[in-house]
Amino acid sequence: MNVGLKIWRYNASTGDRALREYEVDVSDEATLLDTLDAVKDRVDGSLAYRKSCRMMICGSCGMRVDGGAVLACKVRIADITAGGRVPVVSAMGNLPIVKDLVVDMDPFWAKMRAVQPYLTPRYDQALERENVVPQQQMDVIHKESLCINCGCCVSECNSMESDPDFLGPAALAKGFRFVGDPREGAVPERLDRYSAEHGLWDCTRCYFCNERCPKGVDPRDAIAKLGAEAMRHGIDSDMAAKHAKWFVVSAKTTGWLRETELVPKTQGVVKAIKEIKFAMSLLPKGKVPSPFPPHVAAEVHESRELYDLVKQQDRGGALGIVQGEKALSRIEHGHDGSGGERHPYGEGSFATPYLPGQGPEDDPNVVALLETAPSARTAVSDTAAAPLLPAVSDTADGNAGTPVSDTSGEDTKA
Amino acid sequence: MHDVLVVGAGCAGMRAAIEAHDSGACVAVISKLHPTRSHSGAAEGGINAALGNSAEDSPETHAFDTVKGSDYLGDQDAIEILTAEAPGDIYQLEHWGCVFSRNAEGRLAQRPFGAAGSPRTVYAADITGHVLIQVLYEQLQRRMDGGLEVLEEYFAFRLVIEDGRCTGVICWDLLNGGVKLVTGRAVILATGGVGRLYRATTNAYACTGDGMAMALRAGVPLKDIEFMQFHPTTMYPSGILITEGCRGEGGYLLNKDGERFMQHYAPNALELASRDVVSRSETTEIEAGRGINGSVLLDLRHLGAEKIRTKLPGSRELAMTYASVDPIYEPIPVRPGAHYHMGGVETDNWGATGVEGLYASGEVACVSVHGANRLGGNSLMETITFGRRSGKAAAEYAQGAPSPNGHGEAARADAETWVRSLLDNTEGERPWQIRDELGQTMLENFGVFRYADKMDRQLGVLTGLRERYERGIVIEDKGEVFNSDLTQAIELGYLLDIADCMLQAGIARRESRGAHSRPGDYPDRDDEQFLKHSISTWSDEGPVLSNRDVRMTKWEPMERTY
Repeated sequence: MNVGLKIWRYNASTGDRALREYEVDVSDEATLLDTLDAVKDRVDGSLAYRKSCRMMICGSCGMRVDGGAVLACKVRIADITAGGRVPVVSAMGNLPIVKDLVVDMDPFWAKMRAVQPYLTPRYDQALERENVVPQQQMDVIHKESLCINCGCCVSECNSMESDPDFLGPAALAKGFRFVGDPREGAVPERLDRYSAEHGLWDCTRCYFCNERCPKGVDPRDAIAKLGAEAMRHGIDSDMAAKHAKWFVVSAKTTGWLRETELVPKTQGVVKAIKEIKFAMSLLPKGKVPSPFPPHVAAEVHESRELYDLVKQQDRGGALGIVQGEKALSRIEHGHDGSGGERHPYGEGSFATPYLPGQGPEDDPNVVALLETAPSARTAVSDTAAAPLLPAVSDTADGNAGTPVSDTSGEDTKA
Repeated sequence: MHDVLVVGAGCAGMRAAIEAHDSGACVAVISKLHPTRSHSGAAEGGINAALGNSAEDSPETHAFDTVKGSDYLGDQDAIEILTAEAPGDIYQLEHWGCVFSRNAEGRLAQRPFGAAGSPRTVYAADITGHVLIQVLYEQLQRRMDGGLEVLEEYFAFRLVIEDGRCTGVICWDLLNGGVKLVTGRAVILATGGVGRLYRATTNAYACTGDGMAMALRAGVPLKDIEFMQFHPTTMYPSGILITEGCRGEGGYLLNKDGERFMQHYAPNALELASRDVVSRSETTEIEAGRGINGSVLLDLRHLGAEKIRTKLPGSRELAMTYASVDPIYEPIPVRPGAHYHMGGVETDNWGATGVEGLYASGEVACVSVHGANRLGGNSLMETITFGRRSGKAAAEYAQGAPSPNGHGEAARADAETWVRSLLDNTEGERPWQIRDELGQTMLENFGVFRYADKMDRQLGVLTGLRERYERGIVIEDKGEVFNSDLTQAIELGYLLDIADCMLQAGIARRESRGAHSRPGDYPDRDDEQFLKHSISTWSDEGPVLSNRDVRMTKWEPMERTY
């Protein structure tokens, strides 16, 4: 398969940056990484990019395709060159370029270290046995522990683009990996630290990190969980925390967001006074509703019930954050996530397994070859439904005859 | 100057560095990748320790399974150390915060694995290596605050040996360019394996046997280097690993007819026979025309969607991405692929090699706990237990050792001259042609089954490839910054050295044992002549072979069936 791609080359010693076009022959199932290998081997050995595992676990090959971050080993070249398209490959964003597609990851690792990325055990180090922790409690940090530090989220982070000192999605997701760990002993200290300037409240919630994470970590959700945990611990002096808090109060009491009160509650009275001139200009446009008498929504009881439910279920912290779509459900093979029935043993599926001597056999030579002599070999039949062996598993899900329904979103864990 | 240099930062390297640091040594870690990029992170299924959380188990049973799995070539004292110390090492990892999967009691869950007498494989879904790499790097970072240094994207390519003692490492600085000398009183090699010798391999691009080749060229013997494990379930066509955990959770292996063919070869253990047995069975099926596209099928459908999603999510993601197959609905095409090197740098039970001050642990080393065939889940455990032991031993040695005599700079200058000559060469071919031919022919002629004529043919191929390599290869990148064209050319030289040793030792081992199978001329194990380790050293004429006795404690060789 002949494919073309353009690569932004960068030469550190001269500072030259140029968009070069390449054409190479690769196999149909080749990934973008395989394609870069073909360019490096056969066209230009000076092309620089990182690679190692080529199976989405080492996190080396983060780069951009047509302006969005990907893992090069996860992208099929056929998918991005369909119809003769020529994709543009460039280095990740928000990190200094070293050469071609290689970026300087030092700022990334420095932020990682800034969140104190190691467990502070709450137990004494009694090494005789492991800590006993229910799986359910460990599941709280399941997604965050999938992070492979590839930097795709950081590459796309809008907040970091305006504030390079922002801790960023990867480091904050790492932070939640400890905050949510039942074995961690310094949760309030961590929340305090992450709530400081350039911390969790500086996220603009653009969700690009969730969108671009190749492993389904959903860093934005981790940041939301950190925020919720911080508030639960009373660590809410940041303006953004106060803003969120007022949202809740406002919704609970009147069912509406009361903007006029939002400003002093969020920014404080002194700052709010400074904003009066601005507010006055909004007044004629109807953007500053009078706080008196408060406008109470007709269905305010609904928002109050919701509030009470969250309280009652003790979901005030991380557990109250509704998680985004799980990445795996986005790559459901043969599914677009919208439904459709598939059956593991239905028509067109691979034959039902059988043990030798218990099922169809179409090759009498097998007997001689293997020097075994199963006594009763039946004639071959494509449709013969030999009895399936009892599964070793404890689930009956996959037994023949049980339809497996749509799977979208099933991986989501609250 | 450092006390201890650790070359390589996978599980073994990081565990060694942590232990050396905690023993009071001044430590630097040198790695051609960032530590979390190391290939240990790609390990999937789990790590073996006889915790007895799922069923009755003991270190003795674990040791026996390992001895039998090794086809009696493993050194039994080393195996007993591994199995006895494994549980404590696992608890340590858990207390550091490792995110292992839990059982219904909240203790560490354990799953069945090939050739194991009890479910003893501790795991984290099917990303066990990933969570280990993460927790070890977390602990490494903690110690970086206390002075531990990490020189990442430093490509080590030569050892400094002065007066018979290893005192440093010479590196190419990938990010900045230049040949750099790093001096230390002791050096621990933890550079991993050499799967890239084969076209079909689970291994990362980085697995090019750097440490084995550096040690070999520095006069250190390699042990049992002919034993390359072929993992039974690597995906067609990419060679990407699908964990043994799939079979541990109950997966079937099927031929093109849907027959669970393992019953013919291992009637008791079926799919959970040891890896050498399963890989041979698959190859027999494929060669007899009962495969599909040179593959057999790994069928998980009967496990059900829920179990696949919770216990094997990574395998499902890999199958969907690289084979366009969703294992909930379709079987995965798999075949044997080069996976793990049982052989490596010969060490004692503390990781010490034949050269003073030089240690090795992990896949680069051969203690040997795996003998002729490794059991799944034992190598991650080896990286931790023997990584820790080598870190401790190297720190103790270094803190009592005199400073090096300062020969390092001369060695560095010498290495620099060589690198410059590589870069300056403009005559010859590009290295990838040699690399691809090497990978293809090793698979054809020195794979799952080994035949005398094919091995002889491969010797000829290797001679030809070496001639071409030494005649001169062209490195197109002449720059200093991130010159991976240069490092890949050097790595190719490592592959050629190791291949030479493997062929020589393989031809000389006129028996079938573990992963070394000669169905054509020597189909049986021959304990009388070959219950011995192969020892390879390097001379100006190439590799030289000798033998070493296997260390036995309480298990006499028996017939090995599953």
